[in-house]
Amino acid sequence: MSLILGMDPLVFTAWLLTILSAIFCVVYGLYYEYLKKPSKKTVPKEIKKPEEKEAE
Amino acid sequence: MDIIFFAVFMAVFAAVFSFLGYLGYKKTKTAEDYYVAGRKMGPIVIAFSYGATFISAVALIGFSGIASIYGHSLLWLAFLNIFVGILIAFIFYGFRTRKMGLSLKAFTLPELLGNRFNSKRLQASSGLIIAIFMIFYTTAVFLAIASLFEVTFGIPYWLCVVIFTLVVGIYLIVGGLYAVMWTHAIQGVLMLVGMLILGIGIYAMLGGIGPAHEAAAALTPEQLTGMGWAAVPNGFTTLTSMPETLSPAFMLLLTLIFGVGIGVLAQPQLVVRYLSAKDEKSLRRAIPYGGIFILLMTFIAFSIGPLCNVLMINNGLTFPGTPDKVVPLIVNELFPQWFVILFLFAVLSAAMSTASALFHTAGASIGRDVCEKGLMKKCPEKKSVLITRTATLGIVIATLLLSLYPPDVVAVLTSFFFGLMACTFLAPYTLMLYWKNTSRAGAWAGMLGGFIFTMGWYILIYYKTAPQLIGSSITPNYLINMLDPLFIGLPLSFVLTFIFSKIKKQDKDQIKSMEIAFENI
Repeated sequence: MSLILGMDPLVFTAWLLTILSAIFCVVYGLYYEYLKKPSKKTVPKEIKKPEEKEAE
Repeated sequence: MDIIFFAVFMAVFAAVFSFLGYLGYKKTKTAEDYYVAGRKMGPIVIAFSYGATFISAVALIGFSGIASIYGHSLLWLAFLNIFVGILIAFIFYGFRTRKMGLSLKAFTLPELLGNRFNSKRLQASSGLIIAIFMIFYTTAVFLAIASLFEVTFGIPYWLCVVIFTLVVGIYLIVGGLYAVMWTHAIQGVLMLVGMLILGIGIYAMLGGIGPAHEAAAALTPEQLTGMGWAAVPNGFTTLTSMPETLSPAFMLLLTLIFGVGIGVLAQPQLVVRYLSAKDEKSLRRAIPYGGIFILLMTFIAFSIGPLCNVLMINNGLTFPGTPDKVVPLIVNELFPQWFVILFLFAVLSAAMSTASALFHTAGASIGRDVCEKGLMKKCPEKKSVLITRTATLGIVIATLLLSLYPPDVVAVLTSFFFGLMACTFLAPYTLMLYWKNTSRAGAWAGMLGGFIFTMGWYILIYYKTAPQLIGSSITPNYLINMLDPLFIGLPLSFVLTFIFSKIKKQDKDQIKSMEIAFENI
């Protein structure tokens, strides 16, 4: 079986996917930081929790 | 000399962390401060804290040791660690968990479940399950550290455990989650530096990535057994190839890869990191830092594991007996003394960061979820933190006692914890976040169904635990007894949650809670 960087194709795929996933994390962060237009800012409402009632 | 180095470094560690514990104490004014660091944490601290909690000494020492036996196939776990553990976890769970936690005023995963389904019993039961099994997981973390100290310094195991517990216990109990997350940032940097140097050093010794992997691929089973392996695993091919499909080696890898890789999504100690975020932007910004952090941790750890065999053969070293001792042996024999110390403290950081997060979560589970919400009727805020601090102290002492008589295999225990948490909580947690019709009955069914099935599998079938508990597995077929319960337990838990939510729908109170939970989503 031919080896890629000393690894069999399936193991090499895992090796490559790991690096690509990390790169994707960085790209995702850069995209949201610099490229994506900010959406309308919504102010979360202050919500009151209802009375807890154990109905079990 | 080594002992002096150890004492000096440990004193510096203890002083810095105690100071951070003091700062955390000064900043902790409310229960929210103690449990979720006031929900004020920024992206870098979140990313480092999440990563340092996720990646324990078990991952660095135990799993790189397993990679030294089972080869680079374990890199599939590194891929899942980033893809599932960071990307899916933050994007599909983190943002919603934070918003829902804010709406429901929840500080822990059990409280999130309890408030969403309007059930204190659900909260208390979840808290109890988490606390009990976290003690076992923390014990596994201690064992990994002890292996390292035995090989490196020859310091008695019990002494390490006592010192380590004292340091973590003090800053954690005093400073709450502020102290835990700040110390994680420092510990995370140490882990990064240590692993980066280790990875570069080992690849440099072997002539770079290609030549290093080729040298590992060329090792024959005869060379490996000649170097000290008892035998190559059944189904083993080479150190850089997948094992034979469905062989015992393949099944073991499958268990580790999916047990830990998927199990990460429902880890209560990681859920707390989402709840501590200042805003959604902070969580989003934490993703790149988290991805890089995990890459430099597990990717390096699993890559260098198999290469250690080449280094051992090239340098006339013999296999140290158990996989846990392989990387410490290489560091001790082939790296300069300054790095031995640095690496030791990097791994100690990994262990301390995970242990402090586990102690904090387990303490909150017992203090807030079980005692305060499950047993008491009303509890003032100040008393809440006091109860949790006391509960945390109890957890620390229990773990210390258990760690003095530790179980045998580190990595498999970690896999148990991740798998068990996933089978118990992932289905109700996921459906709670995404399906408005999830009912209390569904959550109970999914949680208990997943938990009982997984425990039953470990007791009766699983090849590592069943022989210890009942003498032997009830089935000799390794395709079944080596299968991780997650493969059946997780789908079962989802099906149960769905079916019982359909059969017993939400009542008025639950619908009110659901509306609150989804108001900001």
